[in-house]
Amino acid sequence: MGQQIESALRQSTHRVLEVLVSFLPGVLAFLLALVVFALIGWAVSALLYRILVAFKFDDRLAERAGSGSPAGVADWSPSRSPALLLSRTALWLSILIGLAVGVSAFDASYAANSQFSSFLLPYLTHITGAILLLIVGTLLARFLARSVLIGAVNAQLHYARFLSLGVKWLVLVLTAAMVLDHLHVGGAIVGLAFGILFGGIVLTLSLAIGLGSRDLVSRSIEKTLEKPPVSQPPEVVSPSAADDPSRSRLRHF
Amino acid sequence: MTSASSADATITDTAATAVSGHAASSLLVCLPPLPPEVLDSMLANLSQAFAGEELLVATSDPVPKQQQRLGMKIVATSSKRMNAGWVLEAEDYDLAAGLSSEYEAQTVLLLGGSSTALSAEALYSLVDCIRSRQIDLAVPRFSLDVSNGLVNAALLYPLTRALFATNIRFPLPADAACSARMIQRLSASRQSGRAASSSPLLWPVAEASSAGYSVREVEAGDASPPRPQEGEFNALFQSVAASLFTDIEAKASYWQRFRNRSALTADKIPLSADHAPIPAETGSEIGDMIDAFLLAQANLQEIWSLVLPPQSRLALKKLSLGPAESFAFDPHLWARVVYDFTLAFHLRTLNRGHLLGAMMPLYLAWAASHLLAANNDPARAERHIETTAACFELEKSYLVSRWRWPDRFNP
Repeated sequence: MGQQIESALRQSTHRVLEVLVSFLPGVLAFLLALVVFALIGWAVSALLYRILVAFKFDDRLAERAGSGSPAGVADWSPSRSPALLLSRTALWLSILIGLAVGVSAFDASYAANSQFSSFLLPYLTHITGAILLLIVGTLLARFLARSVLIGAVNAQLHYARFLSLGVKWLVLVLTAAMVLDHLHVGGAIVGLAFGILFGGIVLTLSLAIGLGSRDLVSRSIEKTLEKPPVSQPPEVVSPSAADDPSRSRLRHF
Repeated sequence: MTSASSADATITDTAATAVSGHAASSLLVCLPPLPPEVLDSMLANLSQAFAGEELLVATSDPVPKQQQRLGMKIVATSSKRMNAGWVLEAEDYDLAAGLSSEYEAQTVLLLGGSSTALSAEALYSLVDCIRSRQIDLAVPRFSLDVSNGLVNAALLYPLTRALFATNIRFPLPADAACSARMIQRLSASRQSGRAASSSPLLWPVAEASSAGYSVREVEAGDASPPRPQEGEFNALFQSVAASLFTDIEAKASYWQRFRNRSALTADKIPLSADHAPIPAETGSEIGDMIDAFLLAQANLQEIWSLVLPPQSRLALKKLSLGPAESFAFDPHLWARVVYDFTLAFHLRTLNRGHLLGAMMPLYLAWAASHLLAANNDPARAERHIETTAACFELEKSYLVSRWRWPDRFNP
């Protein structure tokens, strides 16, 4: 009995060691590919940055932009330098390529007919895509929520926070549905749940805005009805803006 | 109207001036696009102001022979702008610089939107400042009503006075007279990266100050500054504030170097305690502005917390809890708030569009407080503006400190 148990344990330990031995070169290949491509990326990034600085890329881009808008390429760049943005993009692209090559190397060095390999490796790419989707979706949700919040506050909408939260959750729900779909989790349930949630949020927002703006709309209609447009002959001079009591007397500029 | 377009400029000699070619003229006058009848009165005004002088007048409008005056040379320029802007823009300075070097003009009079309102005396005074007093930049000073020019009083004037040590009331001029070296410097400033290259606005007062040039202002009499074209106030406010903050960022090495002399004597001036009834015309608008601030106070805490220190946010909360009749935005608090937003703009704490959007309710709060403090009295309004500007000077050390050590603990 004891011998049988010992033999079974020895065999299982042997199998584990076998799997480990066949697994380790793959890990090593993966790490090596990642390190090599990171180094290449760093070198390319540094070289690209130097070249762009030598050609005064930032200044040329700023001259071309020439718009008064506060938002531009430079606004999205670290330290307001599009050259730095490009060089960092090159570095991260290289690391991503390294990751992909590492996964392929891992795949090649590992047992090709393994179920683990055929299931996990494609799923790894899906996970990477899903993580990227999640990051982009979260950032977009935060950006849009802030834009809506500030715009609504400046438009003096009392439901500004509610509107902002609605937009944020719309984008987050959409992102979550896309991520789950990308990971093949949930199947039709995700689509159904997404439809219900998305529709619910849109309906809630519509009702809130509709009810909240009821007074505004009715006042606007009343004003239109009270003051029907009167066609004036061209020689009649209409009163100037300064004489119109309904217009603002404040001059901010 | 760009500097390149100056090469296309052609001289149209009047019957009186037989001078042809690129003869040197001491005074160059650059006119904005004007309707024909306004252009005629403008030329008459110029010939009255500079009677007996040889003038070089640059305009994009066709000038018929009968409208041309004695001693006046007309330079036709190709202008892309359809209307005179409410302030002078970078392309105006570029065009003037090109013409100035081409015709070797020693003095340049740049006229914009308010040029038709300026009297002949005011036009002459602007030019005389440059010629006889050896000044490099002269800008008009307007007398405004209490409820006019609020952004200038809240932001542009105090910031320019505190950071560039120039007591010029309208640092973003609609008209200006410049020396030859000043106009060349303004034109070159964008190329050299000293100014915001992406903005159409230039800040000539700040530029002159950083170059060590002298600046003066000239009383414009009853003239009022031009009004911007009808449009969304939010977009205009953000555009002007972004341009000013970018210029401050570009000149950071200059304004950190010196202390303001007047700041040492500026005390906290108490505002009038007796609050008379709010004027009927502006009463509802003041109420709207306070409401906008209260709405922002309730909703924008998440964004303000990224920009403002807890002390400022606490002061804003106290401000929001007080009654509307005694609503008073402390000028020291306003100065610190503006400096915190300037720093956040520099550090890119959050998206710049969001940052400037979040600043607007605070500006409206200051404007409401200013109108209440002024109580429709121009003298009190002037006193409040001067107090605000003095507070900006006093709080400059706060900006310098935070600019240099932004990560230092700031309660």
